[in-house]
Amino acid sequence: MSLTLDVDGPRWRDHLRAVAAAHPGLVPVAKGNGYGFTLGRLARKAQWLADQGYGVDTLAVGTYDELEHVAHRFDGSLLVLTPWRPFGVALEVDPALADRVVHTLGRPADVTDLLARQPDARFVLERMTSMQRHGLSARELWAVAEQLRDHPQARLEGVALHLPLAQGSHLSEVQRLLNDVVAAELPTRTLWVSHLTDDELAQLATSYADYTVRPRIGTGLWLGDRGALRVTSTVLDVHPVERGDSFGYRGRTAPKSGHLLVVSGGTAHGIGLEAPTGDSSIKARAATLARGGLDAVGFVRSPFAIDGKQRLFAEPPHMQASMLFLPHGAHVPAVGDEIDVRVRFTTTAFDRVVIS
Amino acid sequence: MSAATPATSAATGSLGAVLTVREIPESDHLAFLRSQPSASFLQTPAWGRVKSEWRRESLGWFDGDRLVGAGLVLYRQLPKVRRYLAYLPEGPVLDWAADDLAPWLTPMTAHLKRRGAFGVRMGPPVVVRRWSAAQVKEGIADPAVRRLDDIVPLERDGTGARVVSQLDQLGWRQQVAEGGFAAGQPQYVFQVPLVEADGTPRTEESVLAGMNQLWRRNIKKAAKAGVEVTTVAAGDPSREGSPLTALEAFHTLYVHTAQRDHFTPRPLAYFRTMAEALESEDPDRFRLHLAHHEGDLVAATIAIRVGTHAWYSYGASSTEKREVRGSNAVQWAMIREALAAGASVYDLRGITDTLDAEDSHVGLIQFKVGTGGQAVEYAGEWDLPLNRPLYAAFDLYMKRRG
Repeated sequence: MSLTLDVDGPRWRDHLRAVAAAHPGLVPVAKGNGYGFTLGRLARKAQWLADQGYGVDTLAVGTYDELEHVAHRFDGSLLVLTPWRPFGVALEVDPALADRVVHTLGRPADVTDLLARQPDARFVLERMTSMQRHGLSARELWAVAEQLRDHPQARLEGVALHLPLAQGSHLSEVQRLLNDVVAAELPTRTLWVSHLTDDELAQLATSYADYTVRPRIGTGLWLGDRGALRVTSTVLDVHPVERGDSFGYRGRTAPKSGHLLVVSGGTAHGIGLEAPTGDSSIKARAATLARGGLDAVGFVRSPFAIDGKQRLFAEPPHMQASMLFLPHGAHVPAVGDEIDVRVRFTTTAFDRVVIS
Repeated sequence: MSAATPATSAATGSLGAVLTVREIPESDHLAFLRSQPSASFLQTPAWGRVKSEWRRESLGWFDGDRLVGAGLVLYRQLPKVRRYLAYLPEGPVLDWAADDLAPWLTPMTAHLKRRGAFGVRMGPPVVVRRWSAAQVKEGIADPAVRRLDDIVPLERDGTGARVVSQLDQLGWRQQVAEGGFAAGQPQYVFQVPLVEADGTPRTEESVLAGMNQLWRRNIKKAAKAGVEVTTVAAGDPSREGSPLTALEAFHTLYVHTAQRDHFTPRPLAYFRTMAEALESEDPDRFRLHLAHHEGDLVAATIAIRVGTHAWYSYGASSTEKREVRGSNAVQWAMIREALAAGASVYDLRGITDTLDAEDSHVGLIQFKVGTGGQAVEYAGEWDLPLNRPLYAAFDLYMKRRG
């Protein structure tokens, strides 16, 4: 009856262990929808990795609001990736967590502000990268280094770099940014980095062996072995239709004879709410255009697959279920059968996550 | 070209006003260098006279009327066009630790552009990283280590890193020396510190103790074999007949070395000019060291010193009598002389960054490492294009020339 994520437990755990073993200093990232697993489950899994001796002493979350979902399931430090600001929920951190939370600071004014509120705050300084999202310029980083000399209690835990997704090599950018870090002469030798390839991390570990590199990994850790993950929907109802029969919320008519399938999984799960794919190749754009074409005649390709073939939506997905059109001649599943669904994990809320 | 941005006194320490740059007489240039602890010999007015094929200019940086920086510019002409690459080898001499280098560099580049420069090349004399002799030695022995970059440095220099970072931001381009010596000055050198970390001078015993066993044994062996090292200042008429005779003797041995080691020797006239030019600035600046064994010249070197920085500049050795270790004797003589002169560093000049035991350059490093000093990485040479098409043409020309 549900949209279910089935996880091949042994295989998934092997993968988690392999990633942790290959990335000393790993900082698992649990943010957003928990990559489909939920934040709580990822926090417990991070604790499991820590308990196994992989040195996982810190879990990264995206926002301050996410802290409450992980804090009682993982007992190490909690790094908040969204930069601290002197307003909003960042100021409402549970005092009991104050000593476990590592803030991210990206503006000199915020350094002053945070340390005025909490002189012994733990934090990392984010250096702006070519992403141009958050972070300090080289000169600001040096200025903050100066500032910190007046704050002996402040607990600087390192410098953070959030690099764009790998396209070619980041190494020259990383080297340039690290030079800025050396230039700041900060009282830390820890670098928190994301989105470096294993080769790049290895190169960094060689050239900057006097620094501790802490790779922050989300997707590659939790979703790195797709073969261990299977998403299924349940067939809830099957109705034969003839050409011209009307159906659905909007009273559409069937273009030809076949079957209507009602399956679990709708907009509440994120079905039909596609994030931009991020794939900007000509092929991907052509595919988008082709999907638009289907849309024009009324039917859009759905993420639900029967016998390996993606089927069309008969109408836009409902809140918790979707209606598919199966043309005459296709194999018709029975009520209660499970069919495969191709989803984007970071935008999907599963009803159930079953880990074997 | 925009005008210099006013430097706030807070941001630049002692600077209170906009810096200006103009040509200065060589005498002022020299006087400024004398007020500094040291400077590269490539930044002395005399060096401009050695490089007589290029137009030269002494530049001064002024804070009001006060001279606060100086540089030797060599103008290298682009073939067929009356436009120049303005080159400041291992310079200029200015406050590289300044928080903001733009007020220093912007008026310089504006001035050079007015003088017909299509681009500027300079080599900020700032250290970026250092490695100990022991680390280099281990690196050569370790097959996994191929370059200095593969070893954690003894020290990373924040000031050097800030210079690199700022030049990058200001649009300068680092000239990368790939696998060996680039066309310009070496980015990696080997130096023997002659003072302790706290600045107190080291003793001869301490320097000797820092050398490897082979070096110490060879120095002893040379003394026992009766190798005598004589030192001749360029203007000193009292030894070896005349200094010019000594220089000729050096040159004959140097040409012999060049034939043996397959490099193109410079003509005697080049060394004459160098000796005369450097000597005219300071009688101690240029010194010849000749090692004789039973009347035969077995090794000869040129040492240069500016303030507290002493360099081993050129060397030559005989093919015969290598067993008397004239080369080690003459090096030791130069080091002792540098110590006696109160120098803080003895500089054996360029090495490559390779630690690959298979590489042909590694022998040179191994020889220098025996002195027990440090491999030192400088910020390297940086270019600022002022006229992009001409700079691109020049870049291409240099690449084709190899």
